[in-house]
Amino acid sequence: MKRCSTLSSERCVTVMGWKWNPSRYARFYAVQCGEIEVEKKIDDKIEQFITWIGKHPNKKSQICLTFYEVKTKQPSWFTNKIERLYWEQWNINLSAFQPPTKPPVGKSHHSKLVMDHPGEESEDISSRRTLLEQSLQEVLFQIIKFVNEKKDHVPPINDGVIYCPFEITFPSSSDSTFGMDMLKRMLHSGGHPSMLS
Amino acid sequence: MNRSSSNSEGAKAEQIIFEFFAKSLHIILESRTPFMSSRNFSGDQMICSPSPSCSSSSSSSVRPRDKWFNLALRECPAALESFDIGRRSSLEPLVVDVVLVARQPFVGDQMSLSDQDELACETKNEQVIERWLVQYDNRKVREAAASRSSSSNSKLQVMYKKATLLLRSLFVMVRLLPAYKIFRALNSSGQICKFKLVPKVPTIVEPFTRREEAEMQKFAFAPVDTVCGRLCMSVLYRSLSDVSCEHSAPVSPTFITDYVGSPLADPLKRFPSLPLSYGSPPLLAFQRRHSWSFDRFKASSPPPSVSCSPSPTRSDSQALVRRLPDIPTGRRKDEERDFSPPCSPSGPVSRGITRTESAPVRIPAPSFESKQNLVAPSPRLKLLRQASLKPVRNSGGAVESGAGLEKLFLYGREEFRRSSGVRLSTNSSPRISFSRSSSRSYQEDFDDNDFPCPFDVEYDEISDPSSRPGSFDQRGDIHEPPLESSGSYPKKSQDAAVGALVNMLKKAPPLRQDVSESSIPEIYWNNNKKPAGAHDVAAASMTASGIALAAKTTADALEELRSYKEMKNVLLSQSTMGSSSVTTSPFAVSGS
Repeated sequence: MKRCSTLSSERCVTVMGWKWNPSRYARFYAVQCGEIEVEKKIDDKIEQFITWIGKHPNKKSQICLTFYEVKTKQPSWFTNKIERLYWEQWNINLSAFQPPTKPPVGKSHHSKLVMDHPGEESEDISSRRTLLEQSLQEVLFQIIKFVNEKKDHVPPINDGVIYCPFEITFPSSSDSTFGMDMLKRMLHSGGHPSMLS
Repeated sequence: MNRSSSNSEGAKAEQIIFEFFAKSLHIILESRTPFMSSRNFSGDQMICSPSPSCSSSSSSSVRPRDKWFNLALRECPAALESFDIGRRSSLEPLVVDVVLVARQPFVGDQMSLSDQDELACETKNEQVIERWLVQYDNRKVREAAASRSSSSNSKLQVMYKKATLLLRSLFVMVRLLPAYKIFRALNSSGQICKFKLVPKVPTIVEPFTRREEAEMQKFAFAPVDTVCGRLCMSVLYRSLSDVSCEHSAPVSPTFITDYVGSPLADPLKRFPSLPLSYGSPPLLAFQRRHSWSFDRFKASSPPPSVSCSPSPTRSDSQALVRRLPDIPTGRRKDEERDFSPPCSPSGPVSRGITRTESAPVRIPAPSFESKQNLVAPSPRLKLLRQASLKPVRNSGGAVESGAGLEKLFLYGREEFRRSSGVRLSTNSSPRISFSRSSSRSYQEDFDDNDFPCPFDVEYDEISDPSSRPGSFDQRGDIHEPPLESSGSYPKKSQDAAVGALVNMLKKAPPLRQDVSESSIPEIYWNNNKKPAGAHDVAAASMTASGIALAAKTTADALEELRSYKEMKNVLLSQSTMGSSSVTTSPFAVSGS
């Protein structure tokens, strides 16, 4: 989820903020866009994704983050007057798995014991967290590197534009719905040549 | 017209570049400079912009500088303002060093562009954990000037857009690097930490050494092409493991097993702690060798075949004798003549057994020797040895006598100490006892260099108080020298003592062979009463010195034995008198 936040922040043209994300499995600083709408949208999608993962445990999934540019065009019979030009797409592959659940005696499984009392966490959790943090850092470095390498396709930043419109999609409970989402995207897409993934 | 427009475009480009530098520095300093006041820091969340919803906010709340690149940041430090003044006319590379400094009173907390900070820096207390480099490469100035087109405005827009994206990447990057955690930790903790982050903009940049560069990682942002050149940005940073932790975490106590000076580490290193008056350093160095190192120095003569003594350290004894010329060698020679190995008549074996015979050194001599015990410890011990060993040599039962002496010595050590007034340490007595014989035997070996003696050290210590670390006092009390704790001497002597003791025990006659009729009490009684004969004299002499120490113990045992014997006789007589006397207590003693 930090990737989505970082990516949205990268494409956020206005003010930016940051927030300490005391995750149980990784301690990192998640850069967030200062826009409430952006944050709310991201949080809602994350909750839906978590729900979907709960229904499909141990299943590989993919989150698709796309940035588009809204353009209006001449309305016709089969097309809307609002057109989305997707100029960047990020595919985030995720594999969710159940971590070894060995809660300490007398403690709740979902307790924040690890973060509240870092000295009491087991070595296994600590090493796993360290690895996760390192991998996250590497991925974020990669994102920054990609973002900086390709800038020509980014639409011009106009005054008044706070952030680049985006959408987050992931496989829903049924594949057919996911396919419909992809179809809708294709219909809305104007065949932007510099679409990135 | 074109020239004016180009000039304006060039000026705009230059201004964009300048603001880019300023904004980059602002982003870096914002995330590396501790907060001057707490009002800008609210818990774990901080909004850099004046308000989250900037789209609807009026421009009045946004400072003019915040409009640049659409990025509003925290208030600039005063030093940043000075940067604006100093760098307005130049586009030199901007280097920002983030230094982790051990907190010292004389080091200021504010960033300074002057050279004073650089001079005040102490290498050992500072560590550059990050180095940011922002530079403008204007090599394309001439090429860009040549190709002027109407799209220069669009180029400026593209340049501005790319610079905006680059600054956002920088904003994210400064918060992903390990130094940001330190920054957060320093700001969140209300206590004064041991370290602090000090961002510096040095005017003279000291390049890193190869080793430092190897320890650091580099991340380079993609350059932004401008109309006049290109903007480059990179960072050299250290990983978190390389950075000293900002919190002085308590280190769990650990045992140092290889502590220098501990017996476990190296027993050989214990001796330098001894005062020099107790012996010369080389002497001590030789003394440190253990008995098992004997074989290295003794190549010609074979080790003693008798197991009564372990392999001695010949070199130690040799060195000791050489460095202590005041050893009464003459006396030793005399003792040699009177000395006879208790174990075996053979030459080498006798020498080995000789060492064991040193055990009865402390046994108080019989009446004819008691007076001589009042002399100084070393001479007393020597005399004791003389007295004890003289008869041994002449008798055929030297082996048994020697073994018996040793055995009795061990048995009656406590009683002897009480009677003689000599205070023996627990470990010193066997050491001393063995040292006596060892030294004597060593003297032999010293003459012919054929047979080593492992106990010369102890003997010399006894014989020469000046060479001993406070071994004897005027009262004759034996104090354990500091060497006792080392383990070299006692270990060697104890091993030899154990071996000798084992050998003697094997060959010594049983203490209590016959309860009813025992030759020992007879001899004892005979010694005390009258010399029965030649063999009795020999036996008496045997007990005179060697058994004297345990005389009381044996006497007590014999007395008790005699009483039991009487009781047995009584019981037997009673039983034979009549079986009706069952009520009679077995322990009842008749009036007779």
